Amino acid sequence: MNALRLLLLVLAGYLAIGCASETPDTCRGSLSGTLNAAMIDAESRLAEGCSYEFDRYFSELLIIAEANPDRRNPQHFSEFLLRQTANGTISRRTAEGLYNRYFNIKFVSLQGDYNTCSQTCPVRARVLSTMQNELKDKELGLLRVSNDAASFYRADHLYKEAELVLEATCRACEAGSRR
Amino acid sequence: MNTPRTSTWLTAALVALLAASVPAALANTNSGPVVRLFPTNVLEDIRATTQVAEDMENSLQEIIRRMDMQQQLYTESLCEGADGDQGCERIARQIGATYLQMLDVMSERLPEMEASVANTRDSLERRLREEIGLRTTPSSLQDSLVGQSPAIAAEAQPVLRGRSGVRLSDRFRQYQELVTTGRNGQSQSLTVVAADIYLDMADASQLIAATRQEIARTALMEQLNQSFGVITPEMAKVVGGVKQILFGEVVGDGPIAAPPNPIGEADYVSPLAM
Repeated sequence: MNALRLLLLVLAGYLAIGCASETPDTCRGSLSGTLNAAMIDAESRLAEGCSYEFDRYFSELLIIAEANPDRRNPQHFSEFLLRQTANGTISRRTAEGLYNRYFNIKFVSLQGDYNTCSQTCPVRARVLSTMQNELKDKELGLLRVSNDAASFYRADHLYKEAELVLEATCRACEAGSRR
Repeated sequence: MNTPRTSTWLTAALVALLAASVPAALANTNSGPVVRLFPTNVLEDIRATTQVAEDMENSLQEIIRRMDMQQQLYTESLCEGADGDQGCERIARQIGATYLQMLDVMSERLPEMEASVANTRDSLERRLREEIGLRTTPSSLQDSLVGQSPAIAAEAQPVLRGRSGVRLSDRFRQYQELVTTGRNGQSQSLTVVAADIYLDMADASQLIAATRQEIARTALMEQLNQSFGVITPEMAKVVGGVKQILFGEVVGDGPIAAPPNPIGEADYVSPLAM
């Protein structure tokens, strides 16, 4: 009898531990509804310990916003990101990176504090390839989510200008280092 | 003692000073570091190259036109492969003679052109390296490119590479105009203009060097061919090279993005924005 009781206790304990270690259902489901409702839902889930799902939630919010493009969407995303920074879900740097990647004409991929000859030229092809990927995200953020064609075309133009200027500058840097 | 005349002069001088300083101050507030890509010596190089290109075009235009007409006559007379036809041989010799004349003019003019293009290329290379390569970070480069307002960017967008289709001298004249317009207030786009001119000059230098090499070889061959009246592929190649340098290529216009619908509300600026 005692052995049976012990076995039942062990089994109950095992089940309890097993259930606790599984992902709670609240974190798993997809976000839906309007952008505002989805953001509120995402925020409440993040507050309940689903912060590891932040990237997925952000992607889903973008998809929801894409279905309802609006010039005010960048502001909604900015405020959402700022609240997540205040809550400690993400760092300020991550928030800035995400906002600028999708909603700013400037490229996060073209940043740096050292001179262009030494910082960008040695990895020019990689920088341009990363900028090209970022341009696709800007197409989503600026054109499809925010309905802001002018800003997207400026970003596209900036990419082309940066490509031209970097080609010339890096060639000039290389010629200088050969002398 | 302040006479009315003196105060009038003073007022005029102050107004002039303000008129000159306000745009400069405004320009400084919305741009990054001041980049000096077109000092006087670079402008002089561009002007000199324009003149050399124009002289060369003028001296070659008539010869190339005559050669095109002779070539057309040769083709329309079905001379291709018509061996032994005396009329066709005569046309071929005439083409060869005109071709030699063109090579003479080229041999005479190309060294000056080559030197002038190389000067422009080298001076721009130095400015780009010093001003953009060494004195600018990737972030400030981006800031300076973004600095131009959308309206200015659309109006004064420089002719980017691959869109030539114009005479070399006209192209240089366009460069001069762009630089002058840029110096008068749109300083940001000058970086793109400088990059564009520099890359064009580097390509032109290579093309000129290759053409000079080809001229020496084909001139000798054509002198031999004159006795047989043969049109060689080398002739077509050199003429093609000359046309490319002087008169550009005809390239179709690229697609232009449609303007967006204007929306009246003020743009939102996020505290997260760069």
